[in-house]
Amino acid sequence: MACIDDKGNLTATAKKILTAVKDQSLTAEEVASGTGLPLFKVRSSLRDMASMGFVIQEDDTYQLNEKAEKLLNRG
Amino acid sequence: MTENIQNNQEPEVRSLPRIGSKAPAFEAVTTHGTLKLEDYKGSWLVLFSHPADFTPVCTTEFMAFQEIYPQLREMNTELLGLSIDSVHSHIAWVRNIEEKFGVKIEFPIIADLNKDVAQKYGMIMPEESSTEASRAVFIIDDKQVVRAIIYYPLSTGRNMDEILRVIKALQTTDRHNIATPANWKEGDKVIVPPSPTQEGAEERMKDKDLECVDFYFCKKQL
Repeated sequence: MACIDDKGNLTATAKKILTAVKDQSLTAEEVASGTGLPLFKVRSSLRDMASMGFVIQEDDTYQLNEKAEKLLNRG
Repeated sequence: MTENIQNNQEPEVRSLPRIGSKAPAFEAVTTHGTLKLEDYKGSWLVLFSHPADFTPVCTTEFMAFQEIYPQLREMNTELLGLSIDSVHSHIAWVRNIEEKFGVKIEFPIIADLNKDVAQKYGMIMPEESSTEASRAVFIIDDKQVVRAIIYYPLSTGRNMDEILRVIKALQTTDRHNIATPANWKEGDKVIVPPSPTQEGAEERMKDKDLECVDFYFCKKQL
């Protein structure tokens, strides 16, 4: 999983993306323009994090899953 | 007959994607995690293959690709490398490039061990090598259509200026509905497509904004 490091903590990219969708539901394009990360990287990371339940996807938008919020405060 | 073909087990022949066709979809393991072609929708993409990690020509190319990466990103264009090596080999190689040459490779590289992507894009030239990808370059636009294909043999490193030039020319064509002449560079005059009607051709010859040698050969400055 590209969004988790070998210690089980979020990678810097994953942390940036989850912070962006913490309080609002955003599209991948909005996350990319807000964080400055390349769009392809945001899309693949969001797909990874949606499959792990870190974010909830609704149509084209993503929001942090409340249950995953503690991950943001780790490491 | 069918039996003979099956017994001979001829390798499957796949044709190259064509210019103007949709780029073949893929999902691949890369040095930046699993990526799909569709992740690049909305951006232009230079998908390029190299024969092998830890080889000298490829190392010079990777450093050269990294050098133009900021320019490409300004042109809404991403880079994605590929070879038939493992992701750990890719990671070790890019770390080695940084350590030995001081160049940090920032773009992802596909680890195409099962040759899935290489075969979809016709990157393997069996007469040259059946285990390595050739030096292929696919320029894919923001709608995921193949716009240009460039091939180099194993022994010849690619020319980054030409890759930049082709992308700039294609994007200029899209933006202004023009064509670009031989050796065109940004700032040079462009070709106005010939008029399909006689009336249009005659009017064009009178157009003061155009430099026409004849009705079919008109240039203009953008």
